Amino acid sequence: MNTMDFPQLASIEKIEQGFESFGYICSTQIATAVFLAAALRKPILVEGPPGVGKTELAKTTAQLLDLPLIRLQCYEGLDEAKALYEWKYGKQLLYTQVLKEKLGDLLQGAQGLAESVERLHQFGDIFYSPEFLEPRPLLKAMQQEKGAILLIDEVDKSDYEFESLLLELLSDYQISIPEIGTVKATTAPMVFLTSNNTRDLSDALKRRCLHLYIPFPTVELEQRIIQSRVPDIDDLLRHQLVQFVHSLRQLDLKKNPAISETIDWARSLLLLSADQLNEDLVRTTLNVLLKFEDDISATEPELQSLIGEAIGR
Amino acid sequence: MRSNLLSFIQVLRSRDVRISPAETLDAMDIANTLGFSRRSYLHDGLAMALAKTPPEKAIFSQCFDQFFSQDLLDFSEPEDARTEPDSIDQESVESSEHPSEEAPTAESTLHSAAADIPQLKALLEHPLMQNLLQNNRNELSLAINQAGERVGLSQIQMFTQKGQFTRKILDELGEEHIRQAVITLENENNSALPQLQRYRDILREQVRDYVEREYLLHAEGKNQQFMEEILSKTRLNNLEHHYLHKVLDLIRKMARKLAARHSRKRKVSKRGQLNMSKTIRGGIANDGVMFKTYWKKVRKDKPQILAICDVSGSVAAYAKFLLLFLYSLQDVLPKVRSFAFSSHLGEVSDYFVDYPVEKAIELINWKYGGATDYGSSLLDFANLALNDINSNTTVIILGDARNNNGDPKLEIMQSIYQRAKQVIWLNPESRKAWGTGDSDMLRYQSACHFTAECNNLKQLERVVDQLLKSTGTA
Repeated sequence: MNTMDFPQLASIEKIEQGFESFGYICSTQIATAVFLAAALRKPILVEGPPGVGKTELAKTTAQLLDLPLIRLQCYEGLDEAKALYEWKYGKQLLYTQVLKEKLGDLLQGAQGLAESVERLHQFGDIFYSPEFLEPRPLLKAMQQEKGAILLIDEVDKSDYEFESLLLELLSDYQISIPEIGTVKATTAPMVFLTSNNTRDLSDALKRRCLHLYIPFPTVELEQRIIQSRVPDIDDLLRHQLVQFVHSLRQLDLKKNPAISETIDWARSLLLLSADQLNEDLVRTTLNVLLKFEDDISATEPELQSLIGEAIGR
Repeated sequence: MRSNLLSFIQVLRSRDVRISPAETLDAMDIANTLGFSRRSYLHDGLAMALAKTPPEKAIFSQCFDQFFSQDLLDFSEPEDARTEPDSIDQESVESSEHPSEEAPTAESTLHSAAADIPQLKALLEHPLMQNLLQNNRNELSLAINQAGERVGLSQIQMFTQKGQFTRKILDELGEEHIRQAVITLENENNSALPQLQRYRDILREQVRDYVEREYLLHAEGKNQQFMEEILSKTRLNNLEHHYLHKVLDLIRKMARKLAARHSRKRKVSKRGQLNMSKTIRGGIANDGVMFKTYWKKVRKDKPQILAICDVSGSVAAYAKFLLLFLYSLQDVLPKVRSFAFSSHLGEVSDYFVDYPVEKAIELINWKYGGATDYGSSLLDFANLALNDINSNTTVIILGDARNNNGDPKLEIMQSIYQRAKQVIWLNPESRKAWGTGDSDMLRYQSACHFTAECNNLKQLERVVDQLLKSTGTA
């Protein structure tokens, strides 16, 4: 993939605008990362707290470039048979049956064992060949003619061994299949890896990627996000609710409300046709923002001051 | 700019950011792609290639600001205004934009005074003074930079050298002319004196700032490394109090490093799924009939660590560090159970989970501190955990084996030894002292797979590393 191929990726500003047209409001940092990834043909490793739009970034890039998004969700125990490729065993079995029947014809009139073996060698061997290969996400991404967006989601959930499996793909955009050889990507896909930081990734993996850390957005950015996602909401209310969520994030919570939760909350407030934050309203809808009982009960005594703060600004 | 980028990377490395040559190349590509004109782009872009954890990003931002502020001064005005100290800044704005009364008067006062004093006249012709008078900041900072290079400022090591380098640079710039002129004016009680003094002070301040900045860039990181190295070799009980918090950081760092290196080796496992490709391949010989099935075996490997720590008075100084180390390991290796004892023994894993480290250590010391009794403590341990010890277990004992002449209960130690995969005894006393006085170390040694003397952090790190290596690959 080259910047030249995609006018959408020509400059950092263009990328920002492009994302915005698909409703993804991003910081300059994010746009810079995408720009560099395309220009240098490097994968991006995206880290950050859950719900800040890591996966969304890959999806939006796919939309922007109009390329297929191929997604590999990682989990413990994920192995190459599910990530790279698998042989079509059923067909291979059938093939051996067919081969057995043809064998008679093939060897007819052969003089002695030596000649039979020689004839057998001349006979094309396709038992292990691309025909019997079942591509899994990683291989599939390499085979796309026009390139693709490959999203390797939550790579920190996979095993350590799986990381090593990815290295070849990430640095050279190729995959080695022992029975066949090396498969090189027709067009190098643009690769996004996301991680929630549940464990440290290996240096080898990090070294091959551009590292993008997406933190919780600033107040201004979040305002813009809400404006683009929930356009009907009143300016004043939007201001207040974003402010409120920001002060919530300052508390010690088990799980901080993410952008997606702010959006959900904005939608619910819109449904309830609220025009201002008030204590009752917040109390009844707090469960949209906070997903743990502990968090809710920890927040409740603070509600009044938090709301005061949000309205005061 | 390329060499600049390289020295920037050098600075980052000295601050403990790990940057590989491959990443250096990436950084260069990025700089070439983005260009040097937009500072914020360059910052974001380089951060992606060079700093790959949040703490590293913070270090990166700090160094970036320090390092590139100077370079950008040459071509961008706002940066210029930002990096200059306020007093001078105002002066520069006044004199360059709308010539107010003050600056020109200063110059004219000097010129009129120069008419009488030839020395001053010569001084005013000097390029350094010209730069000062005309407020030529770029020329001046360039001259300072060059002088800095000539005196080898990048070699600066210690903060005590700052004054020395400042003087050297000033001499290199030709500041002595100003100094002498000041003396002459002083002697003559000339009215131009304060003006000239002001210029001298501006110059000195500029140079001092420059040296300070370079010191931060080149020396601070090295000093930190130096300090850590010294600390890690010092005997734990000799550490002075004010270094304690630094040592805590160091221990955490070591534990994290070890844990990161070893925690990955744990394997998940079960019989696994049917290995079709192998089964079919095996079946080909039998006409495609799959007589024998092959399974994707995944090895199961669950290292379990039981750590027992003596917290009695005789080892109190060490116990704190050992507990701290345990605590840090516990954070990352989930299967560590910790026990503490002096006269009796109890499990303290929960303290580590429930409380922050300082509090936990305090509580443990309070609850279990006292006179040592290895015998009854081992008995307690046997009751608590002997049944859980199996061939995957590693038992670490931290203590000096000074038993106040009590019954050592060696038989319990032996039964632990027989069941466990590894028994490791770390003793803060030096090997020579083992077995002297009331030390039962030599007897206990017979029931250990591995004993080591462990009284500074380097040794502790080495031992734990070894330990983790063996549990990891089992």
